[in-house]
Amino acid sequence: MAAPLIVEQPAAELDTVTEVLTAVFAEVKAAVLAERPVVVLVEDGDLLGQGDVVDASVAAGLLGLVRAFALEGAKPGWRVNAVSHRGEDDAAASRDAAEWLAGSDLSGQLIRVGTAHLGKVWP
Amino acid sequence: MSALAIVTGAAGGLGRQIAARLGEAGHQLLLVDLDPRVAETARELESTGVSAGAVVADLTRDEGAAEVAAAVRDRGGSIAVLVNNAGITRDARVKNMEDADFAAVIAVNLVAAIRLTLELEPLFADGSAVVNMSSRASLGNFGQANYVTSKSGLVGFTRALALNWAPRVRVNAVAPSLVDTPMTQAMPPEVLEKLVSRIPAGRIGSPEDVAELVAFLASAEAGYITGQVVLACGGRSLAA
Repeated sequence: MAAPLIVEQPAAELDTVTEVLTAVFAEVKAAVLAERPVVVLVEDGDLLGQGDVVDASVAAGLLGLVRAFALEGAKPGWRVNAVSHRGEDDAAASRDAAEWLAGSDLSGQLIRVGTAHLGKVWP
Repeated sequence: MSALAIVTGAAGGLGRQIAARLGEAGHQLLLVDLDPRVAETARELESTGVSAGAVVADLTRDEGAAEVAAAVRDRGGSIAVLVNNAGITRDARVKNMEDADFAAVIAVNLVAAIRLTLELEPLFADGSAVVNMSSRASLGNFGQANYVTSKSGLVGFTRALALNWAPRVRVNAVAPSLVDTPMTQAMPPEVLEKLVSRIPAGRIGSPEDVAELVAFLASAEAGYITGQVVLACGGRSLAA
């Protein structure tokens, strides 16, 4: 199996959102065309909007990116997934989840590590 | 003076319809677009008895957002409704999508909406509403990695802004699917027919369908709704 690409949610300011998301797009595109599995790690609190508006936009945008790649990659077999977690508290579990996803045949999945999302909206 | 509603991307299509509906609801309108024809749209709406002004502005630049803020101040400085509707597409399959086309869509559909909204923050009235135009495509769509990312990003923005600005301003998003606009009318008929066949409602959405939902979310009747994304897709988001 080709080495997976693990992408962590990058920090961004309003003026760098375009650049940051475009860089992730380019990185993920290069990976899938090289048949590498991809897992994008995002902050679960940002997915729920429980923080800064720019961070939330980036996190949700990345989840959309994952879904777009997975949908388009269904036929060629691209594997692009996401893991959301809550900072360092869930770091080990999120790494495990990312490794498992990268080694699986799944695509377009979101694994939410921890329990803080329970009772909240599904992003 | 009636409460001010701002609609971006209002020169034509869906934005024009949304503006017209908000005008019917009694709002004074400020139409914003990069396209200078927005002034003509404002004049047309004024001929129906609605108070409407226009600003030609590039919202991807700080100066564009500042021009809109200045126009709001000229009209009394109190916003009741902001509809972030401006958007573009640069569709391509991933392998053919250039970074520049990805970036352009993010800059217009996502970053410009955030920039304008934050620039206008001090001008929102208590009890006002923001409606962000997302898309059913935010859940994933073929050949639109840039568009999907931008519209999904708007969902994140909606949630965070709703929490940040509560209880003073409500913030929601509308996520339409296929809507009968000049963009969809330009599609090859066989492609459009195939897409419509996947919509459980059995028809393409009309601009009026979407405008009605926007007007509701902007109204006092939706006063307990914030941070939500409402899909206006005729059931497309459920169907196989």
